[in-house]
Amino acid sequence: MARSRDAVSRDALAGAPAVGAPVLSDYLELLARLGQDFAASLDVTRTLELALERIAGHLDAEAASLFLLEREDAELVCHACVGPVDIKGLRIAADQGIVGRAVSANASQIVRDVRLDPDFASVVDDDTGFTTRSILCAPMSVKDRRVGAIELVNKRSGDGLFSEEDRHVLQSLASSAALAIINARLTGQLIEQERLRRELELAAEIQRSLLPPRRAADFPVCGVNRPARSVSGDFYDIFPLPDGRICFNVGDVSGKGMNAALLMMKTASLYRCLGKSIDDPGPLLARINEELCETGTRGMFVTLVGGVYDPATDSVRFANAGHEPPLLQHPGGSYTAFPAEAPPLGIALDLVGADGYPVTQCRLDGGCLAVFSDGITEWQREDGAMLGARGLKSMLRELYGLAPVERLAALFARLDPGEAELHDDMTMLLVQRSRARVTGSAAGPDDAGGTDEPVLVVRVPARVGSLRLVRRLVREAARACGCGSECVRDIVLAVDEACQNVVRHAYGEHASGDMLVQMRRDGQRLVIDLVDFAPPVDIARIRPRPLEELRPGGLGTHFMNACMDACEFRTPPPGAGNRLWMVKTIR
Amino acid sequence: MNCEIRNEGDAAVVVLSGDVDLESSPQVRAALLECVSARRTVVVDMMAVTYIDSSGVASLVEAFQSARKSSTRFVLARVSGAAMRVLELARLDKVFKIVDEVADGLVHGG
Repeated sequence: MARSRDAVSRDALAGAPAVGAPVLSDYLELLARLGQDFAASLDVTRTLELALERIAGHLDAEAASLFLLEREDAELVCHACVGPVDIKGLRIAADQGIVGRAVSANASQIVRDVRLDPDFASVVDDDTGFTTRSILCAPMSVKDRRVGAIELVNKRSGDGLFSEEDRHVLQSLASSAALAIINARLTGQLIEQERLRRELELAAEIQRSLLPPRRAADFPVCGVNRPARSVSGDFYDIFPLPDGRICFNVGDVSGKGMNAALLMMKTASLYRCLGKSIDDPGPLLARINEELCETGTRGMFVTLVGGVYDPATDSVRFANAGHEPPLLQHPGGSYTAFPAEAPPLGIALDLVGADGYPVTQCRLDGGCLAVFSDGITEWQREDGAMLGARGLKSMLRELYGLAPVERLAALFARLDPGEAELHDDMTMLLVQRSRARVTGSAAGPDDAGGTDEPVLVVRVPARVGSLRLVRRLVREAARACGCGSECVRDIVLAVDEACQNVVRHAYGEHASGDMLVQMRRDGQRLVIDLVDFAPPVDIARIRPRPLEELRPGGLGTHFMNACMDACEFRTPPPGAGNRLWMVKTIR
Repeated sequence: MNCEIRNEGDAAVVVLSGDVDLESSPQVRAALLECVSARRTVVVDMMAVTYIDSSGVASLVEAFQSARKSSTRFVLARVSGAAMRVLELARLDKVFKIVDEVADGLVHGG
């Protein structure tokens, strides 16, 4: 009998058998249809309903239902049903009834007469007046992944019983449905994961933009933050006060992930904002603690070291709220640690006494104060042991000869896990007066008099063709001053790179000008000044890039810093545009 | 600066001599990239390199990156002391494949 291929309605199934029921003579075609349905729509529920309708129609069942495992496989819930009785939403225990048996045994079930089957639960029949006679039930599973089951009730044609052929057909349909459901769930998960990943990236970008800007090489406070994942729970900040003192902090939030990052950003902002008017660390930390406690941190807290460095006296005042003890490295090589005398911020208002957070004052005397997060001391070495304060002290001692910015770079390079993931965010900040004497005026102690002996003065056009000549002259001059071959090589490389910067950037495309290279000998030091006559450069935009960000332009600046003992922009002589000052001890 | 290319079967040996600096590195860059795109193996003979700066290093890096993309073998041979110092400063001495002799660079699996 010809039948139309309309979409099935429940009434059509419930009523007269033939008219209105769909005919899909080839069950492969049914499979294809199902596949298409699932692929076309991520609305799993609707597709399941449609699939069930097709299956019930094809196998000529009076009613059908589709159950999915939920509550960690403890329950079977009906997500779709077809037939005179609506049991959608029905929940049964995962091992209950014929359908439960099919799922538990992971085997399809034919029940010819339910009255003879002890597992048959007549609950639904009793409630609805429907009479179940025969059941065909197939579990939906893919390998060991159990998803649920499809149950067909009361075969309409023939002897009213489901055949073995029907069982095979339902089994393969059920497997396909299981696969489709798993795929749909996975896709949903992937989309969610992608969304989360993008949000984290955005948060990380915002965090990075809040990090303090790089300053000139002789700035006495510098820091590095390396997050373990995209967003960091650690932070540090550095900002100057109008009177020349410099505020700094290093903080660590107890949690992980987005919540920790948000708390971190809030604390960092609070510190920066309040720190400009409350210049003593004790009251400042107390005020921040108040704010954090008031607005709540959901059980998270922040350990923090906050302080102020005074360049005039080379001394630091700081307070430690539950944070990893900062280390004061004395020039002689010994260390003093400053354990926290107060609990972390954000826990409670009354944990700190009336005097507020205890403040430590100390003179650096040319030494260095290292403030860092526990991601550093808890860094795992290759042998599995932690770096510890001891390991860190030893590393800092080894690298002491480097300028603070370089020292941080070298330290972090050593702590780089390479391909492996970091366990924890790592942050470190160093407070140390620059060893090169800093002068802001043209006539400083390095510029005139004393044992100052001019060695070379050459003025050349700032062009690529001039570089070779400058290299030759500088090479000869350095040799003449008694520099060893490695020392000469370093000086030549540094001067060449510095000149390249002038050649490339100082004068615009259509302008041209000269550069002036001067070398002076000051005792055992060679002092080199490179002067151009172009508009002054914005120091903040000349930052040696961390080596990880290797790009040709940045490498040159790195070479300069690595080859010379000191390298910084200084006040140019009158009439000049920019002046780069470099010094190297003669070896 | 001199840049000569010598054929060794399906490999190219690029012999650099003199100073590889801002003036001459564009020439080196072009030569290396061309060889990398055309050959299975490129060996850069750096014995006679008297000087190399950041732009020279950048040319080597760019050729190295291009070689990886096209699965071309890219080797530095006979790296002079001066050049090695610069590669170490840039922390690239462990990144490049560096051999003692040109012949080592030509042999696969060496």
